[in-house]
Amino acid sequence: MPEAARARRPASLALRVIALVGISMALVLAAFSWISARALDRHFVEMDEAELRAVAAAVMRAVEEAPAGELPELAPAIRGHHGVHFLLVDPGRPGESVLPGHGPDLARLARDWTPLAFDGPWPLAVWEEGGTHYRGASIALPQRPGLRLALAMDIDTHEHFIREFRRIQRWTFTLAMALVVAVAGLAVRWGHAPIRRSNARIRAIGSARLHLRLDPKAVPVELSDTIAAFNDLMGRLEDSFAQLANFSADIAHELRTPVTNLTTQTEVALGQARSAEAYREILYSNLEEFGRLNRMINDMLFLAQTENARDALQREGVDLAATVRDLFDYFEAWSEERGVRLELAGAADPIQADREMLRRALGNLLSNAIRYTPTGECVQVSLSDAEEGVRIVVANPGSVIPAADLPRLFNRFYRADPSRRKQGAGAGLGLAIVQSIVEAHGGRVEAASDAASTRFSVFLPRG
Amino acid sequence: MRLLIVEDEEKTGDYLRQGLSEAGFVVDLARSGLDGRHLAATGDYDLLVLDVMLPDVDGFSLLRGLRASGSRVPVLFLTARSAVEDRVQGLELGADDYLVKPFAFSELLARVRSLLRRGAAPVNPDFLRIADLELDLPRRRAMRAGQRIALTPKEFALLELLARRQGEVLPRSLIASQVWDMNFDSDTNVIDVAIRRLRAKIDDDFEPKLIHTVRGMGYRLDLPDA
Repeated sequence: MPEAARARRPASLALRVIALVGISMALVLAAFSWISARALDRHFVEMDEAELRAVAAAVMRAVEEAPAGELPELAPAIRGHHGVHFLLVDPGRPGESVLPGHGPDLARLARDWTPLAFDGPWPLAVWEEGGTHYRGASIALPQRPGLRLALAMDIDTHEHFIREFRRIQRWTFTLAMALVVAVAGLAVRWGHAPIRRSNARIRAIGSARLHLRLDPKAVPVELSDTIAAFNDLMGRLEDSFAQLANFSADIAHELRTPVTNLTTQTEVALGQARSAEAYREILYSNLEEFGRLNRMINDMLFLAQTENARDALQREGVDLAATVRDLFDYFEAWSEERGVRLELAGAADPIQADREMLRRALGNLLSNAIRYTPTGECVQVSLSDAEEGVRIVVANPGSVIPAADLPRLFNRFYRADPSRRKQGAGAGLGLAIVQSIVEAHGGRVEAASDAASTRFSVFLPRG
Repeated sequence: MRLLIVEDEEKTGDYLRQGLSEAGFVVDLARSGLDGRHLAATGDYDLLVLDVMLPDVDGFSLLRGLRASGSRVPVLFLTARSAVEDRVQGLELGADDYLVKPFAFSELLARVRSLLRRGAAPVNPDFLRIADLELDLPRRRAMRAGQRIALTPKEFALLELLARRQGEVLPRSLIASQVWDMNFDSDTNVIDVAIRRLRAKIDDDFEPKLIHTVRGMGYRLDLPDA
C-alpha cells in the first residue's frame, strides 16, 4: 500500500482531454495563421512587383520613343501610377527623375545596387528610409546599355495592413484557444456526468443494501462494462457476506447443542453423589461429545487455512487411480459392512496436486457417497481426461436431492436433510472442505442428482 | 523417563502434568518461558513439551537457545495456531513433532511415547508375543493359541501396530495414519469396523480378550488388567 500511495497518481481524465484538444487546436491555429500571413505577404509582393514592372515598361517605352541620345519626357509615361518613385540614370550624365513628393535617395540606389535584368526575376529589396518603408530595385534597361532605372514604391500602407492583420490574428487565436479549452472542459464535465451519477449511486450502497445493482443500460456504452463488472463484484460480495453471516450463526448453533448437552449432563451428574461407575460413564459420554467438538473446530480451522493459504499447496505428481484405490482400501471394511460395493472406472493422466489434500477431498466425497447408498448398491468413481485437466465423478444411487438444494450442498453446515444430523454424519463441513480444496487447486466441483444417481463431479486442472 | 512441560495456561498445564504422571512419567511443569529455559538448561530431561505461545520467552526462542547450546533433547511443540509458517518454523528450529490445539490427550501421549522410543535403540524383533498371540513379522503371519489366523495385509498391519505399541491407547486418527496413511479425520467409523473385523478373527474365539476399546479415545492391545 505505501508503495502504491507513493507512486504518482495518473493525470485526471479531464486534464488529459483538455491538454490534447488544446495542443492540437493551438497547432492548427498557428499553422493556419502562418499560412494566411505568408499568403498575404506574397500577395503584396506580387502586387508591388506588377506595379513596378508596369512603371518600368512605361519608362522603357518612353525611352524607345525618345530620339536617340536624348532622355525622354517621363511624366506622361507614368500617369496613373501613384506612390512609385523612379529615377532614370545615365552614368555619363547628370540624373533626371520624376519625383512625386518626397521619395527615397534613388541616386544612391542606382549607383550602388547591382542592376537586375528587365526580363529576369525581380527579387525586390525592402528597406526603410526617413521613416517610410520602400520596396524597390535597380534595373538595367536593355535598349540603352549603361542606362539604369531605379524604382521604389512606398509600402507603408501594406505594412500597416499586415501589422493590423497580425494583431487581429493574435486576438482571434487567443480567443479561439480560450473558447476551445472552455468548451473542452465543459464537454468533459458533461461527459463525466454519468460517472458522477454512478458514483453517487455506488456510495448509497451500504452493507445492509448489498442487493442494490446499477443498471448498465442507464449509462453510456463506454461505462456499461465497468458497471457490469461492478455488479458482478457486488454479487460475489453479497454472496460471501451472506455466507459469512450465516456461518457465524451456524457456528453458534452447532456449538450450542453439544455445549448445552455437556453443561446439563455435568450439572445433573454433580447434583447428587453417584457411584464411581456412574461418574466414569458421564466422563466417557462427555469425552465423546468433546471429540465431536474437537473435530468440528479442526475442520473449521482447516477450512479457514485452505482459504487463506492457497499458495501453500505442496504440489507433486499424483496418480489419481492409485489415490482412489488407496481410499477404497481404507473404506473397504466399512462399506462391506454396509453392503455397498466400490467400483473404479476409467483412467486419467497424473496431475500436479497436493496429495494429502486431494486424498482428504476424495475421501470426503467417497464417505459421503457410501453413507447414502442403499445396501446392495454400488458407489462408482470414474476418472477421465478433460480439456486442460481431469474429471473425477463420484456417483451413488440413493434418494434424489432436489435441484434447488444442490448448490447449497457445499455450504458449511448445510445438510440437505436436517434429520441426518442424528446419524453421526459429522458437522456438515465435509463437502465445504471438498470445495475449498478443489478450489484451492483451481478446480471446480458440482453436484447433480436424478433418479439414477447422485453425482459429484470434480474438475482439476493438470498442474 | 523425565519430561518437562512448558505451558502458561494453568488448567492445560495441570492436566498435562497429571495425565503424563499417571501414564508413568516423571513430570516437571514450568509456567513461564523463563522458568522453562532455566529448567531445560539445568535439568536432565528425556523430552520437552513446549507451548509456542508463552507470555515472556516464546517457545521458538526457547528452542533456539536450547539447540544453540547443543542440547539434542526431543521437543514436542504445542501450538494453538495451525498456520503453516508456525509448523515450518518450529520444525526448522529443531522441534521433533508438533500438535495443534485442540488435541486429544491420547494423541499427545502416543506422540510422546513414539518420540521417546525414537531416541532408544530401535527394537525390530522378528516375533511379537502377547499372551498366546504370536506375530511372525517377516512372514506376515499371526497365530493365536497355536492356530494360524488368516489376516488380510491391512488387518495384519493393524494388529502389528497395536502389538508393537502394547498397552498404549491408540487414537483412531493415529491408526488411520499409520495403517492406511490417511492423515485426515474422517467422520465415519471406518476404524471401528476394521477393529471389529480384526477382533472377530483374533479375539472372538479365544481367551483372554486382547483388543480393548477405550471409549472416546481409541484402542489398546494388552492383557486384561495389565
